[in-house]
Amino acid sequence: MAMNWNCTTTEERLTDYLDGVLTPEEAAGFSAHKAGCAACAKMVADVSALVSQMQRIEPLEVPVHLPVRILDATLGPRKQALDWRRWFDWVDVIWQPRFGMGAATVAASFAVLFHAFAPVGKKVTLADLNPAAVVRTANRQAHLTYAHGVKFVNDLRVVYEIESRLGPQPARITPVSEPETPQTSHPSPSSNDPHQKSQAVPHTDRREASSEGLLAFAEANRWPDDSTTRSRP
Amino acid sequence: MEPDAQLIQSCLRGDGPAWEELVRRHTRRVYNLCYRFTGNGAAAEDLSQEVFLRVYKTLGSYQPVYGAFPTWLTSVTRNLLVDHYRRTRRDRITDSIDDAMPQLEETHSPVRSPDKMLQATELSEQLQQGLARLSPELREAVILRDLQELDYSEIRTVLQIPEGTVKSRINRGRIELARVLQEMGVRPA
Repeated sequence: MAMNWNCTTTEERLTDYLDGVLTPEEAAGFSAHKAGCAACAKMVADVSALVSQMQRIEPLEVPVHLPVRILDATLGPRKQALDWRRWFDWVDVIWQPRFGMGAATVAASFAVLFHAFAPVGKKVTLADLNPAAVVRTANRQAHLTYAHGVKFVNDLRVVYEIESRLGPQPARITPVSEPETPQTSHPSPSSNDPHQKSQAVPHTDRREASSEGLLAFAEANRWPDDSTTRSRP
Repeated sequence: MEPDAQLIQSCLRGDGPAWEELVRRHTRRVYNLCYRFTGNGAAAEDLSQEVFLRVYKTLGSYQPVYGAFPTWLTSVTRNLLVDHYRRTRRDRITDSIDDAMPQLEETHSPVRSPDKMLQATELSEQLQQGLARLSPELREAVILRDLQELDYSEIRTVLQIPEGTVKSRINRGRIELARVLQEMGVRPA
């Protein structure tokens, strides 16, 4: 005999419907009412989704100290059997994303430092860990880095231009004419005449010009030598 | 794994490791029930300890004919939760503002809240807030059925009410919880 389903009946039998224990006639009446009542259809959908979602929720983890606390309260403070576990309680604290990111950053920093200062190209031996060896390696690495930097700066065109202007320049730069008596196979302009040579320093031989300027500067500013000092009264 | 009945017999003979095993095996069930009911991590820990203290003292009164040990343990837990609810009722009435949104306070609280580290999803937190707004009778019925996954006869044993009433409470509790979650803007997918 068909039941007269209404909103109240639908609400009362909802759990039976979800459990699948309605008789075929009841299920037909339930479905028919649900199809014609938007409010009941929504309620059934909401509760059905809620129940399935609740059943998927994982139980909460128990705080690590709770079983120990219960055992202490029931059996009394026990001997060292469980105490070693407490030494590792800090693992639970640092085992969090924020600390994990920090640890990863520190590890990456150490990796970069090691890569920069560790002996490269050979196996690390105990001797490499000697503080003196570490200092020596770091010192060498620092000098190499500095030398590379200096070379890079010197190779810059703008630096060359500045050096060329600051250094002692010839009064007039003349294009190099054909050398009268080429002595060597060096392609740079050269002459046996020192005067002519000084006039013919081209921009391409900037190192020579630069070193000459530095030498002149050093000569002008050098300390008086001992013999001069001693000759003074 | 040694059955609960054997562990209990060992406990009654004074076997400490057996009691330890029993505690470790069932702490999660008790703690979850307490936490879902109270919505407070610290209170759940205190209540869990209280439950096991009572079990420790009354283990001799347990008889397998009353049902499985987990069901008996759930009954003990539920009775203590009822006591706890009565004890804290005065505080809840007095502190009406906090009572209106107890879970919001809990969400922003504390270090001891297990949610910060252990609760898996946002839905779980929202569900906890929704449960807190149900009456205790409906709340415990829904928790026992849908979160503790007890069957109707176990719930009847725990709550000491007819099975028809159990189903009715579960039914009303689910509908009410769905309505509350909808008010909170939560829509279970």
